Amino acid sequence: MNSKLAGVVAALALVLVACGSGQEGPAGGGATPDAAAVIEIGSLYEPQNLDNTAGGGQGVTEAFNGNVYEGLFRLTDAGKVDNLLAKEYAVSDDGLTYTFELRDGVTFHSGKALTAADVKHSIERVTADDSQSARKSNLEVIESVEAPDDGTVVVKLAHRSVSLVYNLTYVWIVNAGAKDLATAEDGTGPYTLGAWKRGSTLSLDRFPGYWGTPPANGGVVFHYFTDATALNNALLTNAVDIVTSQQSPDALEQFTGNPDYKVSEGHSTTKLLLAFNDRRAPFDKPLVRKAVSSAIDDAKLLESIWAGHGSLIGSMVPPTDPWYEDLTKVNPYDVELAKRQLAQAGYAKGLRFTLDTPSYDPHPTAAAFIKSELAKVGITVDINVITADEWYSKVYKNHDFAATLQEHVNDRDVVWYGDPGFYWGYDDEQVSEWIKDAERARTPEEQTELLKKANRRIAENAASDWLYLYPQIVVAASNLSGYPVNGLNSQFYAYGIKKS
Amino acid sequence: MKGRHTFAAGCVLVGLVLAVAVVSLVWLPYDPSDTTGGRLAPPGGEHLLGTDKLGRDLLTQLMVGARIALTVGAGSVLVGGVLGVAAGLLAGFATRWLDDALSAALDILIAFPTLLLAMLVVAVREASLGSAVVAIGLAMSGVVARLTRVLVKRVLAQDYITASRTSGTPWPRLVTEHVLPNIWPTLLVNLALQLGLAVLAEASLSYLGLGPPPPNASWGRLLQEAQATVLTAPLGAIAPGLLLVVLVVGVNLVADGLRDLADPTRRSSR
Repeated sequence: MNSKLAGVVAALALVLVACGSGQEGPAGGGATPDAAAVIEIGSLYEPQNLDNTAGGGQGVTEAFNGNVYEGLFRLTDAGKVDNLLAKEYAVSDDGLTYTFELRDGVTFHSGKALTAADVKHSIERVTADDSQSARKSNLEVIESVEAPDDGTVVVKLAHRSVSLVYNLTYVWIVNAGAKDLATAEDGTGPYTLGAWKRGSTLSLDRFPGYWGTPPANGGVVFHYFTDATALNNALLTNAVDIVTSQQSPDALEQFTGNPDYKVSEGHSTTKLLLAFNDRRAPFDKPLVRKAVSSAIDDAKLLESIWAGHGSLIGSMVPPTDPWYEDLTKVNPYDVELAKRQLAQAGYAKGLRFTLDTPSYDPHPTAAAFIKSELAKVGITVDINVITADEWYSKVYKNHDFAATLQEHVNDRDVVWYGDPGFYWGYDDEQVSEWIKDAERARTPEEQTELLKKANRRIAENAASDWLYLYPQIVVAASNLSGYPVNGLNSQFYAYGIKKS
Repeated sequence: MKGRHTFAAGCVLVGLVLAVAVVSLVWLPYDPSDTTGGRLAPPGGEHLLGTDKLGRDLLTQLMVGARIALTVGAGSVLVGGVLGVAAGLLAGFATRWLDDALSAALDILIAFPTLLLAMLVVAVREASLGSAVVAIGLAMSGVVARLTRVLVKRVLAQDYITASRTSGTPWPRLVTEHVLPNIWPTLLVNLALQLGLAVLAEASLSYLGLGPPPPNASWGRLLQEAQATVLTAPLGAIAPGLLLVVLVVGVNLVADGLRDLADPTRRSSR
């Protein structure tokens, strides 16, 4: 490279970052929905493959859950569980036998009719030894799945499981005879897979043989971007109609106050955690964890990163979980308190630890903030930036860390504090018992009571520091309606979206 | 004379950045980790260039960044220069097969992308200022070594070297008395050019999160952090970008000037 070229590269670096604002938006349009219109969806999450039991990731849930595949039940955008492929179900008195009656007239995209054998196969796919499903452990309670006739499925459990029906919302019913589900699909949903151009788009076409209400649109195309700025520019230039979730508040300014766009803020289930390794000194002492929690001004961090969006939680449970309780006062932001607690724990002179920080946003920014906050109480933080892969092997698998930052996206995931083998190693017999009993509860009320207790207790012991809950911000062209605003667990039902 | 003006202009630009870096050692407007400034405060009285997302003063970050850019630039030139000149001398003096082997190794090193090499270094060590210096220095050493080798060969082909060798001068003396004095002007120009490239390489590494970890305010990291807020607070991206341009253009002008001054053929041709 010669000297002039070097100069050009420097200038390019500047231009690349500075560019990216076009102000034209779509021209409003009439009010009549067009049932043939194709909805263009912009997303940052391309599937790794098309199988949610083989590491398809968040992207395949977003594109396929409820759209291409359906479960026996559906988790609505509001967090309610509805019957879907199950017409009705009955539970035995001891709570160990569930009998599901399947809906009639359901066919797979390949034309085959849905039978109980397909349901059995689908459930067993998730619980299989080689399954990579995130829900696998929730379904370990299942002892057997039987199909006495084509329209009935009987599931027997090892013990009561009050969340079984909820957990079944994530089990996709696939054709038992289908092959190679990582690159093709055979579901029962309102859409079939059109074409998947890796690195670019994934299109879904209407399924003419759908058993239920047909989609309100003519099909959808997911457009995948690796960069949020490029994604927003696509929305500004009309290349996409809607962006599934905004990851930075600063891009919002170009949409708010512009009549061509609608901005909605719903509830997410994504929490940013400062997770301690509770097995190891100094964080094996609850007082030290509480001191760190109290030394960090969460409100200011949230304001820095999300500029007024999002909320504080004070524990692992987000407001959309039934056992939510406002626990933000348990470890209040109080620098003096933090100093006293540190001294009490034997660290009056301060301490030093390494914070393993994933290299992607918002972790490095949050780490820099935490470092500066903790310096005020005499704690020195060494920031160690690592990739997502390194995080998985070093922190998640080998538990080789002192503290780390991580986003936890799922709802109802407070139960991980009942598992001492989980990466953060929180080991509290009482909490484990409550969480175990909650799952075996007879009624949802009983479950809620127990999980509330567990949640309060982990907050009192500062098992982790729950920094904040992400907002779920959807920006859409104003001629669009009927799209999901909460996107719980990264699902994105597209069949109700109307374009006029 | 053209060379002299170019050189002077380059010195002014580099001197500017150098001065900022030196001042940052003894005085900064704010503590670099002071987050009291408010989110993305606009430029004004309290914060001359405004603040970033966390409320840190941008001017402070830029001053610290100047220090990091120059440290990495100079550090990697030192590493690359020492390694490269040593390898180049060895290849230049070596017998046929060793020379061939070294040249092949250098070709591979040069063909290896700097960023990939940096990722390897970071994987083995960890992301830090030192790793960045080692990675960039290593990548640079290939280019320096190849140039050194050619220059050494050219000098060694001269008649007076043959005369000196026949009279029994040992090779270390050949190096210090004849080779180095003849090749250093060309090497110096090349090292100056490499410094500019090293500054850019550090910025790219930091942009990708492979450079010195936060809160080190490297310009590349500032650019990366400002990317999401470029519409609301454009100065956060423009300022570090401009400084990069100033430093790299400055270094290149110095190199051009040096070449014109050092090269007698250019000196006479005006």
